[in-house]
Amino acid sequence: MKNVRVFFEKHGSCKYISHLDTNRVMLRAIGKSRLNIWYTEGFNRHAYITFALPLSLGFASTCESMDFRILDDDEDLSSVPERLNACLPEGIRVYRCIESVHKPADIESAEYDITLEDTSDNISAKELSDKLNAFLELPEILVDKKTKKGMKQVDLKQYILDFRMKDPEKTSFTLTLPAGATLNINPNLLINAFAEYVSAELYADITRTGVYIKGGEDFA
Amino acid sequence: MYPKEIEKLLLKVQKPGRYVGGELGEVIKDKRDVDVRFAFCFPDTYEIGMSHLGIKILYSLFNEKPYIWCERVFAPWIDMEAQMREHDIPLYALESGDPISDFDFIGFTLQYELSYTNVVNMLDLGGIPLLSKDRHGLEHIVVAGGPCACDPEPIADFIDIFFLGDGEEVDLEVIELYRECKREGRSRAEFLRLAANIKGVYVPSLYDISYNEDGTINAITPLDGAPEVIEKRVMMDMDESFYPDNFVVPNIEIVHDRAVEEIFRGCIRGCRFCQAGFLYRPVREKSVECISRQCHALCRNTGYDEVSLSSLSSSDYSQVVPLLKELNSWAKPENVSLSLPSLRVDGFTDDILDEIKTVRKSGLTFAPEAGSQRLRDAINKNVREDELINTCRVAFEGGYTTVKLYFMIGLPTETMDDVADIANLGRKVVDTFYSAENRPKGKSPRVTVSASSFVPKPFTPFQWEPQDSMDTLREKQRHIKESITTKKITFNYHDSDTSFLEAVFARGDRRLGKAVLEAHKRGMRFDGWSDCFSLQNWLEVFEDCGIDPTFYANRRRSFDEILPWDHLDYGIKKSFLKRECERAYNSETSPNCREKCLGCGAAKYGGGVCFEKR
Ligand code: SF4
Repeated sequence: MKNVRVFFEKHGSCKYISHLDTNRVMLRAIGKSRLNIWYTEGFNRHAYITFALPLSLGFASTCESMDFRILDDDEDLSSVPERLNACLPEGIRVYRCIESVHKPADIESAEYDITLEDTSDNISAKELSDKLNAFLELPEILVDKKTKKGMKQVDLKQYILDFRMKDPEKTSFTLTLPAGATLNINPNLLINAFAEYVSAELYADITRTGVYIKGGEDFA
Repeated sequence: MYPKEIEKLLLKVQKPGRYVGGELGEVIKDKRDVDVRFAFCFPDTYEIGMSHLGIKILYSLFNEKPYIWCERVFAPWIDMEAQMREHDIPLYALESGDPISDFDFIGFTLQYELSYTNVVNMLDLGGIPLLSKDRHGLEHIVVAGGPCACDPEPIADFIDIFFLGDGEEVDLEVIELYRECKREGRSRAEFLRLAANIKGVYVPSLYDISYNEDGTINAITPLDGAPEVIEKRVMMDMDESFYPDNFVVPNIEIVHDRAVEEIFRGCIRGCRFCQAGFLYRPVREKSVECISRQCHALCRNTGYDEVSLSSLSSSDYSQVVPLLKELNSWAKPENVSLSLPSLRVDGFTDDILDEIKTVRKSGLTFAPEAGSQRLRDAINKNVREDELINTCRVAFEGGYTTVKLYFMIGLPTETMDDVADIANLGRKVVDTFYSAENRPKGKSPRVTVSASSFVPKPFTPFQWEPQDSMDTLREKQRHIKESITTKKITFNYHDSDTSFLEAVFARGDRRLGKAVLEAHKRGMRFDGWSDCFSLQNWLEVFEDCGIDPTFYANRRRSFDEILPWDHLDYGIKKSFLKRECERAYNSETSPNCREKCLGCGAAKYGGGVCFEKR
């Protein structure tokens, strides 16, 4: 038995599949692909799959991963992406299958490509970019965050691990935030705080582009 | 692909996955390669529409033809509708994202009367002129089929063509005719006139209806050479009939998310309240071999690990045990589970129980429909109490603890004693649990008693009957509630308000079109959903349109009245329905089609159960 990790992209219409539904789509794809994978025991047998870092509804991604166990040690992993893709909707594309290296608990951060837009078109993209830069210069960015113990006020500023404006003409930027089981910061927290700061309704096009372990190494 | 503009709206609405398509199995074509674009509209939400078998069959059938591209359209939920209206986004089809105004055909399936306002609202959202008479040119042909087409008069003003009966052949014939007319540059009127001569096609604008002083119909007169009587279409050879080997597999959860295999059409029973039991006569079965092959292909192609065997009464399939054995021969090793809805009590043998028990243990569901034997005889629901109790005992001893019982109130000839017997039957099932020898130890039974309100429907022996008034129905609900004395029984009842509206439209005539249009103008839709339905609003609409809804719902018709659907022929003779109605008054049962032919008229189709050896 091999512990296997597949990496996949999620985009287009599949951005709007929730994590729970993604799970169902994947189970069906595995069933249909006839990959010989490990099933849970018991009455309600089902293929055993897990996801290292769930993706929020509405986000695209280039770096999702899913884990399962392949029963046959000699299985050729390089054919797995093709076999799964034949059984998946267009918006989910598996591009790599490897024996897993890291544990999901090793994940520390994630990177996002984000493009913002004022839905009412009152603020131009350029202006919005300037305001974003100013916003991030503030001494602190206090927001309410849901935690297991209820709502808590946190300062987001300390969590911005990296920020790079890529195209001020489009308010396109890259943002790296803590991610994983212990501390997970959703980029929407920051975007909502910014929307409040500029008093506008913003539309955010968000793609997760990297998942990292300690030291910024790619999760693999 | 959905229109790019909606991305900004999608995160503001519930379940955005409803509006984006992109599922496995969806059919994408190049619109320049096809002659006819067909927008298949289901006038309810994505989750409901995607669970419907008819749309799956026709979607695949149409798309098999290289010159047709059929796409899916569902009613946007009210949150999405608000966004679309605010941002001027027209109703679009999921595959191409193109507005439905780009399509040649806009086709609706009419599964329930309460979706009529959604039909009109969808046309409106698509920017299609609502009334048939306001649409010109050979485009935007609005067609509709499904069970409600058997009395489509309340929405006749909005629809150009109704399809009666099975759609597999007639739909294609009409599409083919359209293609020809387009090539030859014919007018819309010419096309409709030609279509009216195809068997199974009803073009309502070619019929004039006149009324008597008392509001009943005086005459139904065909115009322009349209046929006097429109006969339904039937697929007689079910093995040869088209069945899809793949479904569009949704990415989000829907109501029935599984493979579905139709095992036969029609029903032998003739329960007198049940419209489906008459509309789809005669019974036509698929062979075991055909069912097994089609199911297997579906599971392989979709990846589903559950198949539901669909029919009006699964255990009436003549080879049910061989079928289950054959299916289990591959289903078990492939981890595919079978579900067999619509089982009848008297067909529920140990054999069947064994075959399905091995796969899934869910609750048991029975539909005795009436509480007393007398009333069950009157409605010809041949379920005997001892059989039901026996089956429950077998099931309890086999480990089941929950039983659901479905009943109707307001049935013709019903008395308060009959109503009280609903509660009594529930109690007897509870008692059966405690008297069962090998019942699950340490558990208690859960019996759910549900009562819906009877709605008289066209083409049934009760088509002349009045519906109980809402007050009477409420009183009957109360009576059941008061008659239930044990906590082991849960009582559910459906709102009688929606049943009333359903009864108005089920046997309505063309004059109701005005009310549907007015209701639409007042923003009414999703009448089948309690979040949206308001009887008060409807009563105001009727009042303002000068329509008395009780004329349709609560009036007893005489046997010789001209009914709004008298020009539509579903193979069932009126004289037969009359005879059955009279037997009901005498609480007399009738044998089913396998026991004895009652000469209902459906034998004229030349096949099915009518020609089985008895
Ligand atoms: S003709 Fe006879 S056998 Fe055929 S459907 Fe009617 S009653 Fe049944």
